[in-house]
Amino acid sequence: MNLNLSRRTQLKAGLAVAGLTLASGLFALPAQAAQITLLETGSTLLYPLFNLWVPDYTKAHPDVKITTQGTGSGTGIAEAISGVAQIGASDAYMADAQIKQNPSILNIPLAISAQTINYNVPGLNKTHLKLDGPVLAGIYDGSIKNWDDPAIKALNPGVKLPNHTIVPIHRTDGSGDTFIFSQYLSFSTPKWNDSVGYGTTISWPAVQGGVGANGNPGMVQACHETPYSVAYIGVSFHKEIAKAGLGTAMIKNKAGHFLLPTAKTVSAAAAGLIAKTPADERLSLVFSEGADSYPIINYEYAIVNSKQANPETAKAIREFLGWAVQSKGGNAPKYLDQVRFIPLPARIQELSKAQIAKIQ
Amino acid sequence: MRVFRPGLLAVSTLIPLALLAVVVFLTSYSWPAIQFNGLHFLTTETWNLGNLYANPVRRDGFEVPIGATYGIWVFIVGTLASSAIALLLAVPVGIGVALFLNDFAPHQLRGTFAQVVELLAMVPSVVYGLWGLEILAPLVLTHIAPFLERVLGFIPFFSGAATSGYGLLSASLVLAIMVLPVITNTLLEAIKRVPSELRESSFGLGATRAEVLLKIVMPSVRVPLIGAVILALGRALGETMAVLMVSGGALNYLPDTIYSPITSMAAFIASQLDSALQDPSGMAVRSLAEIALVLLIIAVIVNVIARLLTHRAGLHRV
Repeated sequence: MNLNLSRRTQLKAGLAVAGLTLASGLFALPAQAAQITLLETGSTLLYPLFNLWVPDYTKAHPDVKITTQGTGSGTGIAEAISGVAQIGASDAYMADAQIKQNPSILNIPLAISAQTINYNVPGLNKTHLKLDGPVLAGIYDGSIKNWDDPAIKALNPGVKLPNHTIVPIHRTDGSGDTFIFSQYLSFSTPKWNDSVGYGTTISWPAVQGGVGANGNPGMVQACHETPYSVAYIGVSFHKEIAKAGLGTAMIKNKAGHFLLPTAKTVSAAAAGLIAKTPADERLSLVFSEGADSYPIINYEYAIVNSKQANPETAKAIREFLGWAVQSKGGNAPKYLDQVRFIPLPARIQELSKAQIAKIQ
Repeated sequence: MRVFRPGLLAVSTLIPLALLAVVVFLTSYSWPAIQFNGLHFLTTETWNLGNLYANPVRRDGFEVPIGATYGIWVFIVGTLASSAIALLLAVPVGIGVALFLNDFAPHQLRGTFAQVVELLAMVPSVVYGLWGLEILAPLVLTHIAPFLERVLGFIPFFSGAATSGYGLLSASLVLAIMVLPVITNTLLEAIKRVPSELRESSFGLGATRAEVLLKIVMPSVRVPLIGAVILALGRALGETMAVLMVSGGALNYLPDTIYSPITSMAAFIASQLDSALQDPSGMAVRSLAEIALVLLIIAVIVNVIARLLTHRAGLHRV
């Protein structure tokens, strides 16, 4: 028994020593490398831009490590609130009720983006079909079933449209793209506004054969693999859209003109809304006034909690976002042109900077 | 010695405790949703989170977003249909593979072949999902669906052209491949344990190999076969990732053909959670928890049926 005890004690002592060594080793590691890790997650539309920013930024700031994830705007907002992620990326601003519940969460625009309406109609992907809000609403609520429907024909005189069922593709994950697309339908088509409305996830009307896809990459793939389909995709995926050989539609704006998203039409749409942007910068840019205004554009938001766990993290976030919104930093053409985003106008840049300064 | 037995006892009570904790959590967490949704939850086809950008309203004593309705009949049908079709495909093939491996495969290949089957069981489901998305779904649209429509088009559920590669058929095929190793492995072990005297005496009576397999071996592995099918069904019912990737994410409508998009309960929980978390009233997440509870109850029902079946099969055993 005695022997047993002493053996047990020895064992215990041994284990304790081993444990201490292990523990000190573990705790020593982060102390040695005084690096701050930031997690960015959310919008798959912003994801390509963050992937351009982060390598350049962290090269100049080796003390910060930034991990990026494209998980959908819904996740971005949820994880910024829960604190899992320091920066949540979202194409949608948060709702009033949600802000009321989480008053410390900021919605900070980083750039201006647009959305393209794409389709895969064999033989017509090179021509830009013309579509408007009511027709798209009809396709997505099932009242327009065929490509040669009179409503589509009326918008595209002279185009030989096939007699084939339309497959509308929507996002299954919570998405800022769903948000701005459904806003376009809501603002342009009263019937859609009354029956469906807008949000990052909406209750898609029952359209037999309608497909759900995950993230912008999933939208591109589903549209590519499904002939006669329609999808709404973020403009930052223009390379993938071109590679998949999809058609891009000209969309009717509030003034009645059919436009493609170009630097000119997106800037024109944003210009009219600069003065209207409030201090908390939550504003829809969809379906705005102006002859040259492309109708589906939005601020791309960083969703950040103004109360961070420690001052070091807060400082790292402030510096990174501060760099991101600057014309000479992340808003420089060499980044934004690649994803076809538009830089923030001067006044919006100032508003964003004022919000960034609140992160403590 | 004094530590060992109580220790084992403590460890083994963890399992029922964990199950109990899950049931208690799901029930209590989804309780407001259960009260709010009532039985409509199971029987209606419309799932609508409501307007998350407007302030919640009070309805039936609960705070919910405007226009919120939660009906999961579409997801129940999607889950049961995809699992059932998967089993219809996988069970005969699984039996065939097990019989082949035990009785017909060349001796030196048996070990390798069996290991490959076991390896298949360990492939993560997301890998199957990716394969389904990249390879199977396009193949279903261009070849498998047109072929089925031509051959089986006289059956209503098979007629009508597929409009996309994502749907019930693709989900069922992926699930079938995923559960195949479960069936084969379990059955193979059981066949190996059939007393060789039984086979030898049958051969002695002049039975052919096919007769021995079908009339002697198969009846004596009836109980393990039921067990294998239930294990496979359990995996198919709860499979999330692979189904999410190939099912087409149908919302608010039931499949009218085998090629139609569907959604399963598990996949729907995964895809909706983030949006549901944005519901300031919290009813959306509670309703998702209620889906999980229903899924759990379905799993329990399946298990109970399995117990009854194996019990009966065991009684009538030859």
